Amino acid sequence: MKTIELQINGAAHEVSIEADETLLQVLRNRLDLIGTKKGCDSGGCGCCSVQVDGKVVYSCMMYAAGAAGKAITTIEGLGDGGTTLDPLQQAFIDAGAVQCGYCTCGMIMNASELLATTKNPDEDQIRHAIAGNLCRCTGYTKIVDAIKLAATRIAGRAMESPE
Amino acid sequence: MSLIGTSPQRPDAFDKVTGGKGFPVNVKLPGMLHAKLLRSPYPHARILRIDTSAAEKLPGVKAVLVPSEVPKRKYTPVYFVPAAAGSMVQDMLIMSDTVRFAGQPVAAVAATSLRIAEQAIELIEVDYEELPTVFDPEEAMQPGAPQLHEHAANNVAVNPVMGFGDLDKGFAEADHIFEGVYSSHRVHTCYMEPRVCIVDCDRQGNYTVHSSTQHLFGVREKLAYALEIPESKVRVIKAPYIGGGFGGKLDIGYIEPVAALLSRKTGRPVRIEQTRHEDFISTARHPIKVYLKTGVKKDGTFTARHARSILDTGAHATHGAEVINVHGVFGLLMTYRCPNSKWEGYTVYTNNMIGGGYRGYGSPQACFAAESQIDEICEQLKLDPIEFRRKNAWHAGEPHPMVPGVTLDSYAFDECLQSGAERIGWSQRKKADSGSGTKKRGMGFACQPLWVSGCVGFPDIYEHSGAIIKLNVDGTADLAIATMDIGSGQTTTLCQIAAEELGLPMEAVRMVQNSDTTTVPVDAPTHASRATYSAGNAVQAAARTVRERLLKVAGIMLDINPEQLAVANGRVSVKADPKRSLSVAEVVTRAESPFVQHGKNGPAPTTLEEKGTIIGVSSLAPKSNPSPVSVEFVEVEVDTETGQVQVLRVVYAHDLGKLIHRNGAEGQVEGGFQQGMGYALMENLLFDPVSGSCLAGDFLDYKMPTAVEMPRDIQSIFIESNEPSGPFGAKSLSEPCITVPAPAIANAIYNAIGVRIRELPITPEKILAALGKL
Ligand code: FES
Ligand code: FES
Repeated sequence: MKTIELQINGAAHEVSIEADETLLQVLRNRLDLIGTKKGCDSGGCGCCSVQVDGKVVYSCMMYAAGAAGKAITTIEGLGDGGTTLDPLQQAFIDAGAVQCGYCTCGMIMNASELLATTKNPDEDQIRHAIAGNLCRCTGYTKIVDAIKLAATRIAGRAMESPE
Repeated sequence: MSLIGTSPQRPDAFDKVTGGKGFPVNVKLPGMLHAKLLRSPYPHARILRIDTSAAEKLPGVKAVLVPSEVPKRKYTPVYFVPAAAGSMVQDMLIMSDTVRFAGQPVAAVAATSLRIAEQAIELIEVDYEELPTVFDPEEAMQPGAPQLHEHAANNVAVNPVMGFGDLDKGFAEADHIFEGVYSSHRVHTCYMEPRVCIVDCDRQGNYTVHSSTQHLFGVREKLAYALEIPESKVRVIKAPYIGGGFGGKLDIGYIEPVAALLSRKTGRPVRIEQTRHEDFISTARHPIKVYLKTGVKKDGTFTARHARSILDTGAHATHGAEVINVHGVFGLLMTYRCPNSKWEGYTVYTNNMIGGGYRGYGSPQACFAAESQIDEICEQLKLDPIEFRRKNAWHAGEPHPMVPGVTLDSYAFDECLQSGAERIGWSQRKKADSGSGTKKRGMGFACQPLWVSGCVGFPDIYEHSGAIIKLNVDGTADLAIATMDIGSGQTTTLCQIAAEELGLPMEAVRMVQNSDTTTVPVDAPTHASRATYSAGNAVQAAARTVRERLLKVAGIMLDINPEQLAVANGRVSVKADPKRSLSVAEVVTRAESPFVQHGKNGPAPTTLEEKGTIIGVSSLAPKSNPSPVSVEFVEVEVDTETGQVQVLRVVYAHDLGKLIHRNGAEGQVEGGFQQGMGYALMENLLFDPVSGSCLAGDFLDYKMPTAVEMPRDIQSIFIESNEPSGPFGAKSLSEPCITVPAPAIANAIYNAIGVRIRELPITPEKILAALGKL
């Protein structure tokens, strides 16, 4: 066992881990951050997507030790922790992009990187961005709609309050 | 009606976008152990010796389980039938010393951590005597093939034969006879949440179970049966939702009974979560090979049909004993009218993995055969494929061809065909292979003319539901029901039905969380496209009882006959004088108040008649089993250089009786198409032909459609035929959405390139080979 410090959603967490534990295992099993899901544990489904220094990673494919010192964002870090949601979370609800919901958090974490880097992405960009996240329920139609909706709302908000 | 047909927000959506706490995979109990199964590397073997001593010595190991310790009563793991159902085959043991497929569990370990459990199973030594294997069901039926089960001569587990009329006469009357062999492959449901369970056995032998399941009461019944204990000893907790099922969580796995036995040994809760590879070998749609022979008149009228279906059920019969019937009856024998018909089904044991339930339950395999062949007939006889189907179809008002005593009260096949054809622009369809260039486009369609809304009329299958609805003093309602929400929105539609019936806003109805088998009425599974119809009927019945009492109390309060009252938008009002009204909250508060109620106008006495919680309970089977109808049109583009097929447009038309939740219904169509297109073009669970091991470890080895491959344009047309027996006129939706894509795509591919592929999946290799380019 060794102790590392992880910066998650703006807070520091000291955890004792085995050297080969993945970030996914540490988030779920040691820190109870259960919004991040395991669908395959082998980099094939995207359910475990989180952001590390603003970039989407499959947390099942990253050693926790490798994330030490970096800024980790999980679904629990979106919105205000209360009833105010991130625009993407709200758009997923409004567009009906959630069925079983097991892929949802990973999908949102991925889309959140897209919207942070690309203003008003087109349908192609959205579909390619989420190509590493599998969903078995929705056929992706309403997920794509939700990401478009969130992008439009964010753009609208930016228009209202130019910095 | 205010709520029906709209798209109110899903009550579970907020929770799911913020972390989804309610999945069974998140359940953690104090003192919980983690267990791991040791699985056989051989597909057919006898276990000669198991030595667990080294594993037991590993620090942290709390218990080891081997086949000699498990109960010896054989069972069927399928949830929706009684454990000893005559239609099923009782051939399963929790663990056996005969291995019949690669991956069958032969031992298990519970330890303080998963890591230790994983290390411990590596320390178990097993000596096997390998036995001869057979992986092809038709070989397995030959004399001299290795026999898998003593009770099944030639490895045939069940062999239903059905028919009517005179086949010879029918073929003699035919102007043309068509024959074809259509085969399908093994695909996985790919629910995203793995199968997982936590079982906690107390010192008096009471088991509390959490499971990612489609059927609360099925877990109770099958677990109790396998453990040979009374059902009341098992309590199953209802998860608020599970991460997908699609039929893949419709039977008790190895994990629940193994966890139960390990918990009994250790006195601690035991958790087992399957890896994706374990999930792949736990359940799959059965490969079925269909030999289909059809006689038709010149004008396209069916005179005779004969089908033989060979289903590879793998090592145990389980679902294969029922899938074969649904496949034959609803996919081949009864879909269209044909006076002389015969169908023979063979559910055959092989050393492959055990097949399971999967949305459509045998009908995708049949629909691919039947709807492909109809297009072949039309092509050759130069008949219009829409007219051909219309001519042979059933019509509203006729007796249901399969379910005794049921009439096709609502049945809008023609409307589905017509509206779908118009929307896709069918009149623009060109002759087969008439395009130029290397990328060719084509249109095709397929139908599922007959399907179910649950299982009323099927002798061995459970089909009742029950609900409890209780009003609260703040004007809200709690709905408790065992129906599992497997992602397709059962919580939403059932709350919506309750809200509509009670005249409450959607947000005022809440699904009770974590109810369990001791607190809610017995319910059949979430399967067979039944939840909206069957559970919906139960919810509506309970809500009616509630409304009746609500109006009675309000009538006393307003001093008026309850019949003159109506409830809407959370208020009870006098029909003739709507200004005289009370909020539901006021009425419930009155019913719950003590003998003197203190209100705005000072203390007022209440009466005995008003008193008592306003509650309604139901438990019932629906009166009917109405058939939905569906037609799907697709347009594809085939690259004749690479063999790649791209689906460009989809128009799906479905008679669902009455639309309850528009957005949710569209989601069923769109998600169903993803599964159907994966089945048609790319998904394939592959096995090593020698060792019999599954080659798919994860989604890198099992290709399903991503957002990039999916068509951008999927349109849903919902035809509302108003089914008299359904809640607000509704019947079912889910399964036909996945049945029709494969034949529709195959027919469109034919239209694009003039090549007919009769073997799924239609891969680029098969297309290029058919075009003579490989
Ligand atoms: S769990 Fe990490 S990609 Fe599937
Ligand atoms: S909503 Fe179920 S997997 Fe995406």
